[in-house]
Amino acid sequence: MSIRLDGVGLTHANGYQALQQIDLTITRGERVAIIGPSGAGKTSLLRLLGTGLMPSAGQLRILDEQPASLGRGALRRLRARIGLIHQSPPLPPRQRVVTAVLAGRLGQWSLLRALVSLCYPLDAAGARAALEPLDLEDKLFARCDQLSGGQLQRVGIARVLYQQADLLLADEPVSAMDPVLAEHTLGLLSRVAGQRGLTLVASLHAVDLALRHFPRVIGLRDGQVLFDLPAAEVGQRHLAQLYSNDSLAEHAAPLPATEPLPAERMPRRCT
Amino acid sequence: MKRHIEALLWLTLIGAALVWSFSWLQLDLIGLLRHDSLRQMGDYAGSFFPPDTSPAWLRQIFKGALETLAISAIGTLLAALAGAGLSLLAAGRLGQLAKALSRLLLNALRSVPELVWAALMVLAAGLGPFAGTLALALHTAGVLGRLFAEALENAPAEPARALRQAGAGPLAAFCYGTLPGVLTQWLSYTLYRWENNIRMAAVLGFVGAGGLGQMLYFTLSLFQQSRAASVILAMLVLVLLVDALSAWLRNRLG
Repeated sequence: MSIRLDGVGLTHANGYQALQQIDLTITRGERVAIIGPSGAGKTSLLRLLGTGLMPSAGQLRILDEQPASLGRGALRRLRARIGLIHQSPPLPPRQRVVTAVLAGRLGQWSLLRALVSLCYPLDAAGARAALEPLDLEDKLFARCDQLSGGQLQRVGIARVLYQQADLLLADEPVSAMDPVLAEHTLGLLSRVAGQRGLTLVASLHAVDLALRHFPRVIGLRDGQVLFDLPAAEVGQRHLAQLYSNDSLAEHAAPLPATEPLPAERMPRRCT
Repeated sequence: MKRHIEALLWLTLIGAALVWSFSWLQLDLIGLLRHDSLRQMGDYAGSFFPPDTSPAWLRQIFKGALETLAISAIGTLLAALAGAGLSLLAAGRLGQLAKALSRLLLNALRSVPELVWAALMVLAAGLGPFAGTLALALHTAGVLGRLFAEALENAPAEPARALRQAGAGPLAAFCYGTLPGVLTQWLSYTLYRWENNIRMAAVLGFVGAGGLGQMLYFTLSLFQQSRAASVILAMLVLVLLVDALSAWLRNRLG
């Protein structure tokens, strides 16, 4: 069992209730997309799963640990097993790709090893191996500011792969990309996660991408789970309800006029 | 009209202050331009030529130049190390109290000029290059500490935060996430201060802190103008060399 939430609620310091009564179980190796209108609590949920926030109600178990009850050292060890993929990868521009990738294992390395590796990359072969499935192994010694946005994003994914995380979390990983690149990156992410049997949870704005790349889709609205279904069973009715009152015009476009056949839920907007 | 009167009033006041300052300080500008004083100045300037180029003196100058170079380099290096440590505190990485205290310390170090530090250090550590090195290190630590702290405050926090989120320790996250963003800036500040310090190291000798400055002070006091001339030339060459080297290095960093 990778993730289990029992009646989890999250209230921010300013009193805003971001999440309420969330029950959720995600098993090892599942690939789950979280969709929902802006402000539905997608980012809060992911931060909760990444142990960046602690639940203010209910029980949260991640990788068989309860983050809220862990001490500092144990929390760090748990975090080392969780890989977070950011919308724009937070890599220092002047850092070399090899160092940026190797930084993924800082949670497992001793400080001495980390400092030595900063001066002389100790595991360049490991970094190359992480970059290889992403077609970036020739950029091993390039500087991050010499890469394009899409390449940087792949470096960020390579870092998480090198981290050997058991759980991959991605917060809007492709929202800053053009449709072709977004398609490619998501395909890559879910392929890699599938090959290695990693659990992947991603929040997404684009419904069609979520339905195409993820076997399971969770609809989040007003801090609550509205539906939690296999992608094939998510219909227009669900989506209409998920995005209702929420500037309908904006979301009406990708939805088909009539209930589509189960085999082909959504028109392929991006291709 | 009213503004004109106001401007006139200020001009009159400034003029009066100027005239009064001259009479109070007993500056004799006209005496400076009299025929025999011009001749005296010319004679004195002429006595610097030709510079003393005897091998024995040149060897001494070379030694003095090396000493000045070493004082400035070690002083700057010590300052950079101390400044880096203090800047971490001053950027508020270890709490508000440490921040306030280290800012106070940096301000104190910076507001005392190098020459005053040198005079104090000569009293504390005795005549010689050690006093000069300490003086440069103390003042420059104050300057670099503040510049480093500003660079730290402007550095994006996201990379280090992401590493912490992935289980990295605070020091490792700083080295991999924050340092790459500020290191070139830190190095270029340090090199720039080194340029300043080589000039300052040449002057510090006047209060007995070693190097070329001390040789210049001795030769001038002993009226050995031709020897002083070669010391001044050596200073000029040294400063030009260091400026060029540092500018080239900073260019490569940028």
